[in-house]
Amino acid sequence: MITKIVSKNFEIPNSHTMEVALENGRYSSLKSLFEKEPQEIIETIKQSGLRGKGGGGALAGNKWQIVNDWDGTKYVVVNADESEPGTFKDRRILSLDPHLLIEGIIATCYAVSSNISYIYVRGEYEEFSDVLQAAIDEAYEKNFLGNGAKYKVDITIHRGAGAYICGEKSALLESLEGNRGHPRLKPHSPEPEFYFGEPTLVNNVETIASVPFIVQNGADAYRAYGTEKSPGTLLFAISGNINKPGVYEAEFGVSMLDYIEKIGGGVKNGKKLKAVIPGGASTPVLPAGLLKDAKLDYESLKSIGSALGTGGMIILDEDASMVKALKNLLRFYHHESCGQCTPCREGTSWSDKILDRFLAKKATKEDLNILRSVSKTMNGKTICVFAPAASGVIDGFLEHFEAEFLECIV
Amino acid sequence: MKIIIDNTEIECQEGDLLIDVMLKNSVKIPHFCYQEDLGANGNCRMCMVEIKGAKRPQIACDTFVCENLEVSTKSQNITEVKRSILELELLNHPVDCPICDQAGECKLQDYYMDYGLYDSHQNTPKTKKGKHIDLGSNVMLDQERCVLCTRCVRFTSNITKTGELGIIGRGDSARVAVAPGRELNNPYAMNVVELCPVGALTSKDFRFAQRVWFLDSTKSICHGCSRGCNIHIDYNETKYSDEKVHRFRSRRNNSINKSFLCDYGRLSYKELNNTYSGEVSKVEDLKQLLDVDKKLALASPSLSYQQLEAIKEFCQNKNIELFSLAYIDNSFGDNWLKTNDMSANFASVKELSINTNESEFLKSFENATLVINFDHKKLSDMELTNKKVVEFTSSQIKSSSELIFSFANFAHESGTLINCDGIKQQFFASKYKDKHPRLIEILEEL
Repeated sequence: MITKIVSKNFEIPNSHTMEVALENGRYSSLKSLFEKEPQEIIETIKQSGLRGKGGGGALAGNKWQIVNDWDGTKYVVVNADESEPGTFKDRRILSLDPHLLIEGIIATCYAVSSNISYIYVRGEYEEFSDVLQAAIDEAYEKNFLGNGAKYKVDITIHRGAGAYICGEKSALLESLEGNRGHPRLKPHSPEPEFYFGEPTLVNNVETIASVPFIVQNGADAYRAYGTEKSPGTLLFAISGNINKPGVYEAEFGVSMLDYIEKIGGGVKNGKKLKAVIPGGASTPVLPAGLLKDAKLDYESLKSIGSALGTGGMIILDEDASMVKALKNLLRFYHHESCGQCTPCREGTSWSDKILDRFLAKKATKEDLNILRSVSKTMNGKTICVFAPAASGVIDGFLEHFEAEFLECIV
Repeated sequence: MKIIIDNTEIECQEGDLLIDVMLKNSVKIPHFCYQEDLGANGNCRMCMVEIKGAKRPQIACDTFVCENLEVSTKSQNITEVKRSILELELLNHPVDCPICDQAGECKLQDYYMDYGLYDSHQNTPKTKKGKHIDLGSNVMLDQERCVLCTRCVRFTSNITKTGELGIIGRGDSARVAVAPGRELNNPYAMNVVELCPVGALTSKDFRFAQRVWFLDSTKSICHGCSRGCNIHIDYNETKYSDEKVHRFRSRRNNSINKSFLCDYGRLSYKELNNTYSGEVSKVEDLKQLLDVDKKLALASPSLSYQQLEAIKEFCQNKNIELFSLAYIDNSFGDNWLKTNDMSANFASVKELSINTNESEFLKSFENATLVINFDHKKLSDMELTNKKVVEFTSSQIKSSSELIFSFANFAHESGTLINCDGIKQQFFASKYKDKHPRLIEILEEL
């Protein structure tokens, strides 16, 4: 059931060093890369149907094309600000196979005619950032990067200062420019992101790390995995009340329950499954009853009222308190709201404070109504999707587990 | 082209910002972060409107008008949206209106009356933040009253480019602040008080002085330098005393000062309260004095065109040599609003061909036996022994002059000024009559 494309080298000892990486096929895609024109590479990515793996799932090829067509100095920015609770896949790539990421960056830069790339690494990922920096240094030595390379690419690591919102691409770029990490107003027509006014491609670590396979083996080889609309694989992470928590790569479209049973080793201590938060903290929770036919792809999870997100599943067993679980998530949103838009700044803090009343079993019927109306105000009225995500989380818990909240009402 | 707002056709240009069109056509649209001269930021979310065909409500400050745009600001749905966002703006607000200086001109109050009028749902403790923080330059900050519209921050970063203010903290603990050890310190700092739509930033100079609903307002022009910034003079009758000017506010003029004023000009209102309170001489006494031979008059270049014209006519009739000298201070001007020429109306002096040659003035001054000073501030610095001096003044002076006449200052006068760029502007008299006569009236008597 496990399919290894991105995670192929993860279990090889010292896979982060150049020597081992070269032995195991890293940088071998560069030969086929430079045989093709940049536009051909973009076409290949489009045909492969590669989707962004940071949570949104937008088609990567289209994004590349827009950046490529825009006049100006181009930048490629790798989003390694992985801070969503329940999501811990990118850190595996950074620490276990950084050369795969570098190889992907070279291909991406070549395709969109960029010579400069930044990797925005989450501030707390200090040790992974060090591993990555060592790998970049090695790549410079071996002339895969820098002036001596066949195609010149310079990579700079920028470490964030610990804000979840800087994983939002426009906030990430604001932060990279040296400003506060506040998301920007969304454009009215399709356009790239801009770094100091220049067209910029922002892609997740795993998206870029999937590129070398596609360049080397072609679009069809990638499409051989996954489903029609969600081709390829994803590094699914599984955590919570599960026997074998971890990151395991699988094809899109595998059954969620199979994944939990066969790869995750089933719910811990033989307990019954109560609910799954399917794709990182910001996707609505799904009760076990809805999961019978659930598949791990974008379309299937959308059809049952949630989202695939980053593919980081959080497993809750029969003993889990849903009120406590929601409180845990809302404390996170309260803490991480950037504070720019009113509905988010005030809404996340208010709903978090209301949950305190539920936890203390001192809530009233009115509190439940307020929670619902605050959630409504947070949805679709802000610059970025942070508040709508928080709103979706609240709605998910109240829709499926209202009874537990009613128990806390005096 | 035309767009439809609340079933009414409105004329506008393709690409105009929707909120500009609405404000220009007096369509009510609540907003905090948008300001005409600072632009849109999109953070307050108050200006949400319903646009036909759009899935979600949109903010008017980030919507550009296009053909067939149909906007609703009054539907039940959008009214509910505005109410719910306003409720969040007010959630952690201390609601201390009775002791807040902004009360009466506060957008939170206005919008609550327009869109709120709900009972409080608050059932959780409010977030506490800093109170009465002295930012420097007369500006006081109350972080709890702040709606984080960032107008003040954008003013210091985009307009003055001094960058003293910023937001620190995240989420509901975000607040406006200066960096530790720094202070708000630039010659335009007090604009942030006026830009602040709520009571977060108040002026040390004005706070606790007046309730704004007791103030009357007159359209006027700042006399601080030759820029001619447009202002409102806010004044009222203080109990048991004469009426008093309490502050200058900027009056938007896109081609001169936009919505801004310098702190020097803003605080120059104090001169208007410093009126002459001593004994005033009789006109007959002056008539007698005028019999001498060598007479000279010096007129202030900050008088209005009409006053200067009357002085010129008076001097011609009485055979008095008339001069006017500009107030130049080379350390005052900058490359924005402030000019080195600190006289309000030197361009009119030139237009009336009044002699401005300093060496000619000094020569005549040496020989003159009678000097008539029309409010010129520099005369007191000169050697005046052996000369008879007649003062016409609009402010309190200490003078050993022969005769003193007091006339109404520009808060009680209407007139015309010509600014440094040759723009002719009117200013108007307040509705209270001053106890001092107008300068032109005195001259007519003579």
